[in-house]
Amino acid sequence: MKQKIDNLIAAAKSDIEACVSVNDIAAVKVRYLGKSGELTALLRGMKDVPADQKPQIGKYVNEARDVITALTEDKQRVLEAQRTESRMREESIDVTYAERDGSLGSLHPCTLVKNEIVDIFTSLGFKVAKGPEIELDFFNFQALNIPKDHPARDMQDTFYIGDDVLLRTHTSPVQARTMMNEKPPIAIVVPGKVYRPDDDATHSPMFQQIEGLVVDKHITLCDLKGTLTLFAKELFDRNTKTRFRPSYFPFTEPSVEVDVTCSQCHGKGCRLCHGTGWIEVLGAGVVNPKVLENCGIDSSVYSGYAFGMGIERITMIKYGIPDMRILFENDTRFLRSFR
Amino acid sequence: MKVSLSWLKDFVDIDVPVQELADRLVSAGFEVEEIIDKSAEIRNVVLGKIVKMTHHPDADKLWICSVDIGNGAPVQIVTGAQNLTEGDLVPAALDDSYLPGGKHIKTGKLRGVESCGMLCSGEELGLSESDYKGAGVYGILVMNKETAPLGTDINNVLGNDDIILDIGVTANRSDCNSVLGIAREVSAVLGKPLRMPEIGFKCVKDKVADKISVEVKAPQLCPRYMAAAVSDVKIVPSDETIARRLRSVGLRPINSIVDITNYVLVEIGQPMHAFDAHKLQGGKIVVRTAKDGEKIVALDNKEYALDPSMVAICDEVKPCAIGGVMGGSNSCIDENTKDIVFESAKFMRDNIRRTSRKLNLHSDSSFRYERGIDTDSQRLGLMRALTLIDKFGYGKISDGVVDAFAAPPKRENVSVPLTKIADILGIVVPEQDIMNILSCLGLSPKIEGGVLTVEPPLFRDDIENANDIAEEIIRMYGYDHIEETLIGDKEQTLGGKPDALKAEDVIKEICVGAGYSETLTYSFTSEKGFDVLRLPEDATERKCVKLLNPLGEDTSVMRTTLVYSALNALASNALKNIKEAKLFEISAVYLPKALPLTELPEEKDRLVIAAYGEKYDYYALKEVVDKILYKFGVSPIVRRSGAPWLHAGRGADLFVGKFAIGSLGEVHPDVAKALDVKQRMYAAEIDIESLLRYRSRGYKFTETGKYPPIERDIAVVVDENVEAAKILECANKAAGKALREAKIFDIYRSDALGKGKKSVAVKLEFRLPDRTLTDEEAQTATDAVLQKLAKDTGAVLR
Repeated sequence: MKQKIDNLIAAAKSDIEACVSVNDIAAVKVRYLGKSGELTALLRGMKDVPADQKPQIGKYVNEARDVITALTEDKQRVLEAQRTESRMREESIDVTYAERDGSLGSLHPCTLVKNEIVDIFTSLGFKVAKGPEIELDFFNFQALNIPKDHPARDMQDTFYIGDDVLLRTHTSPVQARTMMNEKPPIAIVVPGKVYRPDDDATHSPMFQQIEGLVVDKHITLCDLKGTLTLFAKELFDRNTKTRFRPSYFPFTEPSVEVDVTCSQCHGKGCRLCHGTGWIEVLGAGVVNPKVLENCGIDSSVYSGYAFGMGIERITMIKYGIPDMRILFENDTRFLRSFR
Repeated sequence: MKVSLSWLKDFVDIDVPVQELADRLVSAGFEVEEIIDKSAEIRNVVLGKIVKMTHHPDADKLWICSVDIGNGAPVQIVTGAQNLTEGDLVPAALDDSYLPGGKHIKTGKLRGVESCGMLCSGEELGLSESDYKGAGVYGILVMNKETAPLGTDINNVLGNDDIILDIGVTANRSDCNSVLGIAREVSAVLGKPLRMPEIGFKCVKDKVADKISVEVKAPQLCPRYMAAAVSDVKIVPSDETIARRLRSVGLRPINSIVDITNYVLVEIGQPMHAFDAHKLQGGKIVVRTAKDGEKIVALDNKEYALDPSMVAICDEVKPCAIGGVMGGSNSCIDENTKDIVFESAKFMRDNIRRTSRKLNLHSDSSFRYERGIDTDSQRLGLMRALTLIDKFGYGKISDGVVDAFAAPPKRENVSVPLTKIADILGIVVPEQDIMNILSCLGLSPKIEGGVLTVEPPLFRDDIENANDIAEEIIRMYGYDHIEETLIGDKEQTLGGKPDALKAEDVIKEICVGAGYSETLTYSFTSEKGFDVLRLPEDATERKCVKLLNPLGEDTSVMRTTLVYSALNALASNALKNIKEAKLFEISAVYLPKALPLTELPEEKDRLVIAAYGEKYDYYALKEVVDKILYKFGVSPIVRRSGAPWLHAGRGADLFVGKFAIGSLGEVHPDVAKALDVKQRMYAAEIDIESLLRYRSRGYKFTETGKYPPIERDIAVVVDENVEAAKILECANKAAGKALREAKIFDIYRSDALGKGKKSVAVKLEFRLPDRTLTDEEAQTATDAVLQKLAKDTGAVLR
């Protein structure tokens, strides 16, 4: 009996070794270990074994089963791994090819810049406000200390719709509208389209501005400078410095032009900054008390500052765009270069 | 405002280089737009005298000139000009000289004869006839009237030896539209004393009162009118000192009297006018408002019709000048003028601006008046004019002046606590600095008990309150002193965007993710766009806001739809042979409630998506639109659109209830044709406010997948015209509450199905939240759907 078992193991071993596919090993498994397999047939011969040898032979048979099972399983693992390998080899594709377009669309460069600016100021506690583009003369000019026939009107040529209706020339009317409707503390930032009859390489009849206004107690010129310097460092780079130059806007007093160190040459002087090392980016100032009073805010208690900048201009500076008209051409090749 | 350095030096000593002066002015609030040094362009050109002229031996048209340049060694210069004779004074460019435009002159040979330079024409020196009499002549510039020694640098002869500063004067500083005004600022920035213009003249015995009387009937528009009389005037070309200064700031010298009025205008900032005394009937000047329709021919020889808002300067019978704007030709001086009357008046800023605009007539006078003239300059201007008359002997000055003065002007002192100044600036400026700065500016400051009081002079009518004073202090003290603080005292506010803007950001992200690029198009457009879009005459889109003063027809109306702008953007890409374009934009349309406007129009933000491309089709457009709608949880009803700009078979309108929220589809072939685009274009326009209004909000937890779903696929054959929406509607209505979702996953057409038929495969997913659904229940529901489809659409199960 024992001899028979040994022979069986030997036969199984050589059969297993001869297997080349997962199907072969499955057949071997059935032949030796299946319900009507050879090992089962051998077990049927147990009844002829003397009783005293039965435990010993029984154990020997079980060991044989374990050996054959282990051998088939090992072989099966190897063959399965081989099968997977070869399938993957057959399924190989050109992984460098792009069958579908993986690109995205794009936001307009002015939107990218606007978003950056808005994000900086909203993180500083400014709310975004909006106002109409077709505006009353009152909000665009009069409330902002620019009466009719005032020489300051020459600073902003205007598209008119009627005697008292016009296309806003700046985002500042939203200052007036906000101050008339809200109580201090006020901190708003106003992006929006504005209109002036100019059309050349640095002017567009429609362009976008961002306006900021803060009104509260004890707001000073130093607060304005601190805020704008922080802003400029965020928008350009950490080493950016700001410089105030006296100027005139009817709605602020004192009024300043704000220069930042040139983002290209960092103040050394280059073509972009015309060799001065500085680039003018903002107009700003302390809110004229007359404007506060026009808008129903007590100027003996409250003060404020305001600033405004042209989004197209900053976009041109940031991306080195030489002509403003390019921004309005909507050439997809240009637009898609921004991401 | 152009001022010359030498003119400034009449009033203040300038001991710094011009660039430093410019920098100091900039830091005080005066932008120096340009520093013009005309002399730098012309080098080594001198005044010479032709002492001898001989014909060139080998060229008929060339002359060999011997030119005396004052050093005893005449130079030989060959010229081709034919307008010279011996003894002429000419500009001679010597060896190694430069002319405007960088032209370099060297000794050379002309047809074998040595020429040690070049004789110059007016044009070669950059001069026109208005710069120098005779400069426009064809040939060499002949300067026989010059008295300068031979060899004098031509820049000195021409008055080019001056440096011109072009200074931007802000609208609040009308006092600085004059050399004197700028000089006052220069004196403050340099800390040098200001010298007032030299005044002094002798009069004859005639009394001015015997020559002219003045009556001001409109004192509100003309608060001061001064006049003086000069007899036996010499109308001659001005003395070169006057002519050169006028030329240096871009004014053309005319004659002795006119030039003096212009000189005073530039120097003092006071506009002046000279009447021919004999043309003023009745020896009288009456200042009154014009009569309606009253006509006058001005000095530009054009006739103007006045109205009662304007000031007319009249004699006893007729208007002789448009007050503050321009004199009349009926009273102007000419070469026969013997006696004149000088006017030096104040007219009101806003009134002159209005008049000038209404008449579309602008002059150097109106420019000054529109910016504001103080009430003090009239006397100074008149005195200065008379001083110049006397100095150059241009006439006999009558004794006295007429001064019609409504009320002596008075300036209020302004007092503010020093703490208020510190509160505005955020820094404390030392009292001594405040005193020095304000004194230099002529504001006569006093500090008593912490209160600062200033007495603004009449020419500083912009100084009214603490902020104005703070600005004067800081612009001189220096903005570098301003520290950087971050609104320390301010109450904390919360920043952020309103919902509508957040929604726009979300939409933009989806569009970008789907491959679309954002455009920026003008809000104004052309009315022709309505025709291109095939809009009928009575279409509401045609009711649009029009600009009164557009730059052109293309930008003359405020858009009522974004579609035309977007299609134009597509067309401009197609024109450049770009194969594919996918664009979007969120912008406002402007919808008037009534025309003409009775209130501001509604401004509604819309999304427009537009695309063309080989692989692009209606369903590509619908996909991105659906994604946006999905994000907002808006599920509109989709209906075939009748919009005139859309393809009749490939356009859809989106409705929520009965409200249209947008349209999408392939663009009508005629629209594409009108825009010269061969490709099929696609566009969608959606109202942003509607997305917000109908958005489903509030996420609530519902347990998913606890009980298994059952899916049933059905395929039905229907007529081609049965729309997907109808099939899904039937499924949703008939399937009962266990239906989670009905989805079309395949549409199939074949010859076997027959023409005009299609097979639509629908997946129905059933699930209940509280128990396992049975197969029987799913089958019953599916049968109900099939029955409904058969009944409503004639569908047959495949």
